[in-house]
Amino acid sequence: MASPAFPPAKDGFNDPSPSSIPEAPKPSYTSAFSPLTSVYSRFSQWRKSLDLPNPGTVENLQKEVKSTHLTNFMFDGGRADLTKSLSMNPAFQVTHSFTLGSQVSTPSYNFGAVFANNDVFLQGSVDHEGNVSARMNQGWAEHSITKIQTQLSSQAGHSMIQLEHDYQGQDYSLNAKAVNPWPADLTGIYIGSYFQSVTKNLALGVETLYQRPTPDMSEVTTSYLAKLTSDDKNWIATAQVQPSGILQATYWQKLHEKVEVAADLQVMAAPQRRDAIATLGAKYDLRMATFRAQLDSTGKVSALLEQRFAPTFAFLVSGEIDHFKASSSWFITNPSKLTFN
Amino acid sequence: MPSEETKERITKLVEVGRAALHYGWIPLIIYIGYTRSTPQPTLIKLISPLA
Repeated sequence: MASPAFPPAKDGFNDPSPSSIPEAPKPSYTSAFSPLTSVYSRFSQWRKSLDLPNPGTVENLQKEVKSTHLTNFMFDGGRADLTKSLSMNPAFQVTHSFTLGSQVSTPSYNFGAVFANNDVFLQGSVDHEGNVSARMNQGWAEHSITKIQTQLSSQAGHSMIQLEHDYQGQDYSLNAKAVNPWPADLTGIYIGSYFQSVTKNLALGVETLYQRPTPDMSEVTTSYLAKLTSDDKNWIATAQVQPSGILQATYWQKLHEKVEVAADLQVMAAPQRRDAIATLGAKYDLRMATFRAQLDSTGKVSALLEQRFAPTFAFLVSGEIDHFKASSSWFITNPSKLTFN
Repeated sequence: MPSEETKERITKLVEVGRAALHYGWIPLIIYIGYTRSTPQPTLIKLISPLA
């Protein structure tokens, strides 16, 4: 009978000793790609050997210029922030903030809460009218962050949401953004950008904006970016060009440890509208004060002095003279900041 | 393209999520912060600006 002979034969098949059968090479489906993967690894090795710096994010392209110019710091009225740090690690603080006596906006109250640990940053604030703004950052790895930012209002049409993912590689930055995406028909604004260091000093990038206000209407605009940084990072020149005819060029230089100057040129050369504005500004950091002065081609001269009397109390004086319109305005404000532990 | 019914459902879902976020976001941060803080603060410190 053949049946008793089967089991030993089967056992021998099922139980091969490691020495008797040599380890076969891995299945061939990965080796089919091996030329590609070896080219890729050689390419990434070569890229690593170039040792290019990360170019920074597209969003922060003009960060230095914006912090030198005073446009973002103009402020009017009185303001008090009461910040209470309830915990240091993880960071948890609540802020009560009051603004009063502004010529352009009504008095307001704002309550804010911030929680942050190593990977998560949560921030929320609510004003006296019930509008909530929320911000959440989640870090996945060292250079990979997802950011969500929303504005929630009880009035219809005033709410917005922005979803963003930011990835910073060794010598490049990638960013994808969606503003007010609507899942039912995919309308919204989508922005993608790629920024790559080309040499140690020069970085080039593209930013594409895809707008889809209604399902049957869409528009794509691409802009090109360049950033030139000096070896010692003492000056930075940037340019952003949109093929439709918009150019923004900036130059920032650190003249001294405490003195920074910045120039900004915006040119619009579309067929229906031609316009250009140049702005020149300087910032002085003194021991207890910061002084910013600015002059632009529309004839405006403005200055802002921030005097800090104590770490928690500051006094701001800002003024603006419009020479072409022959008008001037002055603001004296005192944003005071009280911190309790 | 999703059907009208699905679209309506998505709209309702987004509306509910929006309302939940609107009223729940600040309490959520305060709850997370309050429970994870070291040392845990007293409740009065959390609410009153002057305590």
